[in-house]
Amino acid sequence: MHNVWLIAKREYLERVRTKGFLIATVLIPLLMGALVFGSAYMGSKSKTSSHIAVVTSDSVLGSDLKHQLEGSKENDMQVDVSTPSDDTRAALDVQLHAKSSSLAGYLWVTPAAGDRPTFTYTARSAGDIATQEAIESALHSVLMREHLEAKGMAGSEIDALVAPVKIDTSASGNSTAAFFAAYTLFFLMYMVIMLYGMNTARSIIEEKTSRVFEVLLATIKPEELLAGKILGVGAVGLTQIGLWMIAAFALSSSSLASGLVGTGHGLISTAQIGFFVMYFLFGFLLYSSVAAALGAMTNSEQELQQLNMFLVLPLAFCMVMLFSIIRAPNSTMARVVSLIPFCSPLLMNFRISLTQVPAWEIWLSIVLMSATIFAILWVSSRIYRVGILMYGKKPNLPEILRWLKYS
Amino acid sequence: MPIVELQNIRKVYDTKVAVEGLTLAIEPGTMFGLLGPNGSGKTSSIRMMIGMTVPDSGTVRLFDKPFARTSLNRVGYLPEERGLYKKMKVLDQLVFLGQLHGLDEATARKRSLAWCERMEISEAIAKKTEELSKGMQQKIQFIAALLHEPDLIIMDEPFSGLDPVNATLLMDTLVALRGEGKAILFSTHRMDQVEKLCDAIALISRGKLLLSGGMREIKSRYPRNRVQVVFTGDDSFLRHSGVAEAKNYSGIAEIKLHDEAAAQQILAEAVERGTHINRFEVMEPTLEEIFIENVRASFGDAEAGGRVDA
Repeated sequence: MHNVWLIAKREYLERVRTKGFLIATVLIPLLMGALVFGSAYMGSKSKTSSHIAVVTSDSVLGSDLKHQLEGSKENDMQVDVSTPSDDTRAALDVQLHAKSSSLAGYLWVTPAAGDRPTFTYTARSAGDIATQEAIESALHSVLMREHLEAKGMAGSEIDALVAPVKIDTSASGNSTAAFFAAYTLFFLMYMVIMLYGMNTARSIIEEKTSRVFEVLLATIKPEELLAGKILGVGAVGLTQIGLWMIAAFALSSSSLASGLVGTGHGLISTAQIGFFVMYFLFGFLLYSSVAAALGAMTNSEQELQQLNMFLVLPLAFCMVMLFSIIRAPNSTMARVVSLIPFCSPLLMNFRISLTQVPAWEIWLSIVLMSATIFAILWVSSRIYRVGILMYGKKPNLPEILRWLKYS
Repeated sequence: MPIVELQNIRKVYDTKVAVEGLTLAIEPGTMFGLLGPNGSGKTSSIRMMIGMTVPDSGTVRLFDKPFARTSLNRVGYLPEERGLYKKMKVLDQLVFLGQLHGLDEATARKRSLAWCERMEISEAIAKKTEELSKGMQQKIQFIAALLHEPDLIIMDEPFSGLDPVNATLLMDTLVALRGEGKAILFSTHRMDQVEKLCDAIALISRGKLLLSGGMREIKSRYPRNRVQVVFTGDDSFLRHSGVAEAKNYSGIAEIKLHDEAAAQQILAEAVERGTHINRFEVMEPTLEEIFIENVRASFGDAEAGGRVDA
């Protein structure tokens, strides 16, 4: 254990002292923050603001539509209403193709006898979906309102009828938070594995190319070396994430963030946080040991890149499974999948936040994950030793057993 | 009590036999030379001594006990392919490697500083390894192998790539360590170094032990049948019946005898015939000659030319 600690300590200190670590620790959250808040800000500011023309003989429809498109919550358009005449269409077509004009398109309303009129929209650009959708939804609400008024309902009654329905979940209080936590875990895990799992592999390859391993292996066992690497590089990752989390927490508790993102506090229970941390650590160790195995197998960065998918595929599989688990968190499939060691960190934690998972399943997942970590470490330390010291000979089972006895 | 004892070890890689039935023992306080052409199994044997690989059959004993990893703290190893952490400062690196060998940090630091001074690289202490010359890096690696005061020092090609001044410094250090009773094993191609330093040698070729034993003893097995004569005047003594082969480079003759005993007769005859002898030396065979002769024989003469690399 002492050797594992020494290897881990060296790895940690050497990495944390680099400028790269400092830059990444400061810059990544800054960029992420800029991205999140920037897009939230842009989203809140962006309303459909096209300039369109409506051609209709029905002036009530025209003005209602204009009102809906120009003044409502999500729209900020400029609408010209005109009545159809012989040269209207030609004039609009000219305007539509003129470079100086800002007209995005025109809506032609053709009355139909007794029924809904038909609507034709001619756009400057066929890809302008936002405007088209805005018009569609505006038309829908205008027509419904007209229809209800025609049936004799008062304006206030209509307002009450079309008001959106909201369900209050504050009593049970955690579905959004659980979702949020599961998604956060997923992306944190994904990012950490991509950033630091690969670092573990790289650091092993680096030792192979610089031939330091031969001096190290003259005193310590390969599994001690690999375990030390995983812990050392892992601790660097956790330090960085810890710093980011603190920064994120500081930000999200500020009024600015809660105003923009709109999440409340105290939605996640302490038990959930505990599970989150535990599964996070397990997931991290598990995937780092896979990365260590990849590092043990390969001799260069290029070879490593080709094996990248062994890290990404299980994560992608979890992502796919996420959606069916949301619908039925207690189905047999969900239970089986969440016990697969590579998926447990993400999916078991996700189920815990969604439903009541029996304790034995949690324990089983922990046992399976631990066993997998040790198995991978064991196998990769063998691969490591064989890979660097033998001249391309693949080990057979009796040889592996002999090594086990010897070292 | 031998420090290292290999008993009939054998190692096969896939189809290649790396080491075949190697038996040798190294006593404390000896300088042991492991010799052999390239690819003869020197490094494979060393790796089995320190448990990096396991022999397919045969036993390895360290410090008179069956091999155990705990013994490794008493072994210092300098691998053939040097490796240090490039970005790490020299002192940190030495302290780290010392700690891995079981030293506490303070002792490792103290000894590192003392050794750096002894090896004349004190100015490098605060630098990163990648900023140093190759020779300096090699000295650092040399120090790293000795920090924990091992009783067995194993060095794979310790002098390769060093200038004569530094090579001498390393040799003197090794000689001093032998004086302290440590066993030192090193492998090399340089026969002159072996001849100067080693008390005992083992010569292996194609994984097999060709000869081993004390340096004097091995040399005495080969006849002292070569004579160098520096002379002026009559050269008829070169046609003496005891001479097997003679080359005369105008005044310096190299003679190969049928029999050691003939040397004195030839000298007497030359003096009798009035040849003026400036120097008459009966030469013992050099290790290089013994090496080449044995290795050639192991390969079979036909293919020896290209394969032997002494």
